[in-house]
Amino acid sequence: MLAPSLVILVVFVLYPLGQAIWLGQARCDAQGENCVSNGWDQYVDVARSEEFQHALWVTVKFALITVPVGVALGIGLAVLADKYLRGVGVFRTIFSSTVATGVAVASLMWLFLLQPDVGVLSNVGWISDLFPVLKSPGLLRDPGTALVSVAATSIWANLGFTFILITAGLQGIPRDVHEAAVVDGAGGIRRFWSVTLPLLGPTLIFVVIVLTARAFQAYGEIDLLTDGGPRPQNSTTTLTYLTYGTNSIINNNDGLQAAVAVLLFLVMLVVSLLQLAAVSRRVHYA
Amino acid sequence: MAGDPTTMYDAPSGWRAVGRYGLLVVVSVIVLFPIYTTVIAALKPGNKVLQNPLVPDAFTLDILREAWSDGHFGRYMLNSFVVTIVVTVAVILTSVLSGYAFAILEFPGRNLLFAAFLATLLVPVEATLVVNRRTVDSLGWLNSYQGLTVPFLATAFGTFLIRQVFLTLPRDLRDAAAIDGVGHLGFLRQVAVPLVRPTIAAMAALAFLATWNMYLWPNLITTDADYYTLQSGLRSLAQGNLDKPNLVMAGVIIAFLPIVVVLLVFQRHLVRGLLAGGVKG
Amino acid sequence: MKRVAAAFAVCVASAACGSGKSILDAGNAPATTTTTQPPVTAAPGATLPPTSPTTTVPPATTTTTPLASLPPCQADALDGVSSPVEITFWHGFTADNENALTSLTDTYNAQQTKVHVTLQNQGGIKQTIEKYDQSSQDSRPEMVSLPEYVVQQMADSGSVIPVGACIEADHFDTSPFLPRVLLAYRTGGVQWSMPFNVSDPVLYYNKALFERAGLDANVPPVTLQQLQTMSQQLVSSGAAGYGIALDSGADSGGGWFLEQWFARLNVPYANNGNGRVAPATEVLFDSQTGVDLLTPLQSMINEGLAVNVGDNPDGKDTLLKMADPAKPAAMTIASSAGIGTVINLLKGGLIPGITSDQIGIGSMPGPGEVASAIVGGASLYVVAGKGDAKAAAAWDFIKYLAAAQQQSQWASETGYVPIRQDALELNPLKDKYVSDPRFKVPYDELLAGKDDVTSVGPVLGPMPQVRSVTAGAVAAIFGGADVQSSLTAAAQQADALIAQYNQLNGR
Repeated sequence: MLAPSLVILVVFVLYPLGQAIWLGQARCDAQGENCVSNGWDQYVDVARSEEFQHALWVTVKFALITVPVGVALGIGLAVLADKYLRGVGVFRTIFSSTVATGVAVASLMWLFLLQPDVGVLSNVGWISDLFPVLKSPGLLRDPGTALVSVAATSIWANLGFTFILITAGLQGIPRDVHEAAVVDGAGGIRRFWSVTLPLLGPTLIFVVIVLTARAFQAYGEIDLLTDGGPRPQNSTTTLTYLTYGTNSIINNNDGLQAAVAVLLFLVMLVVSLLQLAAVSRRVHYA
Repeated sequence: MAGDPTTMYDAPSGWRAVGRYGLLVVVSVIVLFPIYTTVIAALKPGNKVLQNPLVPDAFTLDILREAWSDGHFGRYMLNSFVVTIVVTVAVILTSVLSGYAFAILEFPGRNLLFAAFLATLLVPVEATLVVNRRTVDSLGWLNSYQGLTVPFLATAFGTFLIRQVFLTLPRDLRDAAAIDGVGHLGFLRQVAVPLVRPTIAAMAALAFLATWNMYLWPNLITTDADYYTLQSGLRSLAQGNLDKPNLVMAGVIIAFLPIVVVLLVFQRHLVRGLLAGGVKG
Repeated sequence: MKRVAAAFAVCVASAACGSGKSILDAGNAPATTTTTQPPVTAAPGATLPPTSPTTTVPPATTTTTPLASLPPCQADALDGVSSPVEITFWHGFTADNENALTSLTDTYNAQQTKVHVTLQNQGGIKQTIEKYDQSSQDSRPEMVSLPEYVVQQMADSGSVIPVGACIEADHFDTSPFLPRVLLAYRTGGVQWSMPFNVSDPVLYYNKALFERAGLDANVPPVTLQQLQTMSQQLVSSGAAGYGIALDSGADSGGGWFLEQWFARLNVPYANNGNGRVAPATEVLFDSQTGVDLLTPLQSMINEGLAVNVGDNPDGKDTLLKMADPAKPAAMTIASSAGIGTVINLLKGGLIPGITSDQIGIGSMPGPGEVASAIVGGASLYVVAGKGDAKAAAAWDFIKYLAAAQQQSQWASETGYVPIRQDALELNPLKDKYVSDPRFKVPYDELLAGKDDVTSVGPVLGPMPQVRSVTAGAVAAIFGGADVQSSLTAAAQQADALIAQYNQLNGR
């Protein structure tokens, strides 16, 4: 009974991980063959190298933008649409629609919006006058705004998913809890902070965990929007892009790529542990 | 989407309702804005794409036909559907089997094995890609449906979910079946699975979404465009046609629409699926 | 466990764990390279002594690999074939260029029965390289199109049959070929691949804007000095937002163009005969030549005469800057491979305000007086290990694509330069060059230079990564950084890349 799952997981998850761990301390030729060991200190050196530290910082920044903003927007939209109004179902469908966009679709839509010469935003007179950076050099090419723009794409793409989850979480709060709070004299905002939000706890935790995992593994958006640039700051080179990106400095270096990938695994492990630690301390159940 | 309107407290009326509607409209406009501009651009004839990007002042459907044939979208969509359906079905099968095994069966080392299963959840797909590519290459599975599907036929997440649900099955059900002489597989088929159908449907929705949106892997193992999935096809369409933004946007719309339709149909299951991993209580 | 996690978080936050060293040095013993001297600045009025050795380096002895030690090419293996030999051809052509290739291939398949070619588009040049490198020899195609900057990698890979072997075995006549074009793909005494699509950078300029600024629209700039003067006039007269759009892309302004300019001045870009006499061990672009090259460009950007459009990953951003309705650039330098596409695009009316007649093509401006260029584009490789019949089939298709008639058709449809002079005497190219002389500019550029190892451009093992490094340096320079120190830092990184490459790839 276990066999099918076991075989797949061993062959395609555990074995590659083991192989990657070995590869991470080796160096190979341009075709990825003739790999020779270079010592386990290669891992330490990679972790301490400039490019890795930079990519790690970019990845952390990316997560720090996308996760809180994504959660806040999700809550905002869910609460906004959570009223018994006629036709509110239409709005809920609209808010959920981005769950249908894959990475490629969302990135191409936003690329078309943000391209400085032929993009939408830069070709609408009053918008580009208000924000000159749209045209020169363009949101995706200015080192200060590139990462935020990519993050915006990611947040938008995940909005539907976040919205659906939080709405379901809101619906899970029994009506009498709210009515009791009303009876106690709590106003709308007070009710939100003291009653709704804590009871949303488990949902929010789940959302944060998923969004964080997605943030650390984001690749398609960067590949399609900025190719890890703009140079020379490489403002959008995250750990995944450092591993696989076309413009990455270790692009042809199988050993170093494996090292970065394994280190990414370790980083995600640590992040998961941090999250678990935070969770085990504060969970409210209805 | 997302279930019935809320059972929250008082429904607003009068000015509050108007205000609420207003806010909803504004936010909807913002959320829909990228989709809106894409549709506008897709439907404009080539020489008008760059003018008035906010206003649909010209209209032609020819571009959709061109994107479909030039972009080989028929083939790519077929590939995406085949791969996604195969993986979804397989994930359900393997998860049900392994979830049942972990929940009901007793065997030595069960907990250790389950921990190993869970450990695979933490491994990011990036760490396994390169080696998996080599494995698939040596099996001769580049440019094949096998290569696109086999590595994903099982996932520990599915096992975990099903196990959770099976654990809640009352003991006596299983004992009664044993007395009747029904084996594990029979029990599984006749009793257990029908009881957890909602969770299975949820898993199916999740697996469908995840597989449909896979970006990195299909790009990696296909060198023959006949085996591109929709996401890879979009990427190559975009790279080769930067001078025809309307063509690229038309491709984006074609890629976007079917999944919206599928999701509208299966929204209830999707919600439950997304919930299944999260809210407890 | 929690403590470990917390420590890690602190580590990240404080960046105290960083070593400041490059990822490329990971795991290696500390290198015994000499420490770099800080850039020497001259006292006002004094001139700097040359900071790097001039071309008085003793010439390296040629490392020729005798053809006999490389996979052989049995050109006659097709003779006894009864059913068509199937071969696949991986390439990265897109849009109109892909259409042109497809029509050539369809004709070939239809007109003979010995070989059937299946085209497989990998989505771009970089993707083709990646897929080729990642695949096992069995999964590789019989024929592949790869650019000029991976010649050394292909030579070291042992996975191809050198086209030179086929040329010899088949007594193929290469005399009508442009020598420079063949030389581009020749290193260590071996002709590794057959050039197919040849391009070099040209100047695209907006004639209408030139006229509006009072410049002669038929005399585009050739020297850097003229570029500066004309840009000044274009901007001050208000005709254009910028004189020229520059970029820092690896395969354009930040890498390839640098190689072009060094070749134009006949100054070596790397040692050991530009890497063609023996594999290079260090780069030489951080010399005074490099500084003199980039400083004027930097000041043009500072003065607003030029604009840097950034990384330009697809090569189109500089051209798009010319189409910017608000503040267009009047000129840009881009590959001649795009001439056909740009003209078709403008004819289709995609860019309001610019017609296809308004675009002029001039030779690439640069240092020195002579407008010459080095070969870019891609070439055709015969992959080894597929059996004699398939290799012969690939060679047969290569001969077809390199024939005068096909080159004439290919060049006229795409804007690529024909690899042989007799193609100019055949239609459709003959008429094309007469009716639209813009297409002839990249060809003339190639004839203008000398045909020795320095003027043909460098060959480096890790060329794509080196270009990435120079691109970063150029981006920094265009952003205002000090030219000499940026180049020196880039040269250091490039040398490290080369040293590692040589170590790992069997030198």
